Amino acid sequence: MQNNECVYISDQFTDYRENTLSSEIKAKVDAHLAVCSPCRNIFQELENVLDTLHKLPLHQARPDFTKALLSRIDDIDQESLWHKFSHSTVSKVAGYAIAAGLVVALGLNMLIDPISPIDPNGKRSFTEEQMNQSVTPESLAEQADSSNNQQADSLALHHNAINPTGSSLQLVSDTK
Amino acid sequence: MSKKTQKTDEQLIAAFQGGDETAFVELVDRYKDRLVNFVYRFLNDMTDAEDLVQETFLKVYKNKHAYREIAKFSTWIYTIAGNLARSELRKRKRRKTYTMSSLSYDDNEFTAVDTDKDTEGIVFNSYAGEEIMKAIHNLPEPFKTITILRDIQELSYEDISTILDIPMGTVKSRVNRARLKLQETLSYLRE
Repeated sequence: MQNNECVYISDQFTDYRENTLSSEIKAKVDAHLAVCSPCRNIFQELENVLDTLHKLPLHQARPDFTKALLSRIDDIDQESLWHKFSHSTVSKVAGYAIAAGLVVALGLNMLIDPISPIDPNGKRSFTEEQMNQSVTPESLAEQADSSNNQQADSLALHHNAINPTGSSLQLVSDTK
Repeated sequence: MSKKTQKTDEQLIAAFQGGDETAFVELVDRYKDRLVNFVYRFLNDMTDAEDLVQETFLKVYKNKHAYREIAKFSTWIYTIAGNLARSELRKRKRRKTYTMSSLSYDDNEFTAVDTDKDTEGIVFNSYAGEEIMKAIHNLPEPFKTITILRDIQELSYEDISTILDIPMGTVKSRVNRARLKLQETLSYLRE
């Protein structure tokens, strides 16, 4: 810029290009550009810059842009539906009802049968059956016998599997 | 025979506010390229630009009732996209500052911008678009935005005034100053 007039003229460049100046000011700019080569150069450069800017290639969104956007919106909609449900009165009431139902069910179960839980098949558990049986000295002895016989059978089978001839087994048995 | 007239943007957003989702899709199709182009000029990265334009449309979708027909739809959506773009630029600037400050002096020497451009073969009156885009990118924020809106997007002064919420006179003087700055920045191409 050369002087104040140059500054004033350069301030008018945009309006000058767009033809929005009053005829009086336009005449002033014309007259100045005719005699001031630095301002003329600046104006010419400005024209070139703007020409290039207007010719810049336009970029386009990728082909699946809309599809991808709608898919994101679907996800948000689903999230917000869940959010609405989880914060709604209906869901709260449902939650309380389920909790209350569980408490009542457990309470009733305790009232009906306070000792043992009901097994999944609706039968009383093995421990309970045992408890309900009458325990006598005879029955205990019977159980002990049957248990010993089972252990002996199991040992014999095991030893036969290790030593089919049974010699060493016999020796051990004899010593016993 | 009656000629089928295309709905205006304002009619489409009104239809969308009334629950017509196809109106939203039409608005997306109308504006996606313009906005991607607009945001790309800020960020200089196509993937980031597309992501940010998606964010813009998501904001429109979620806040459809925030739009009032006192402004044009185009100025509303440009305002949203412009705000997101400027915010992203600020974030990048912070990250860049952090990265630069964490480098040693020697590293800084290597990462400094090379200003000694090989200008051979660049004829002044046929600027390389890339050089101009770099120059726009390096303009101070208010000048950058106004150059993109006016000289690339070719929006009216009135629309720019609404988008940036500044008086029309300020828009005009800022456009002029931005152009002069751009010309000054690019004057090395002439030497």
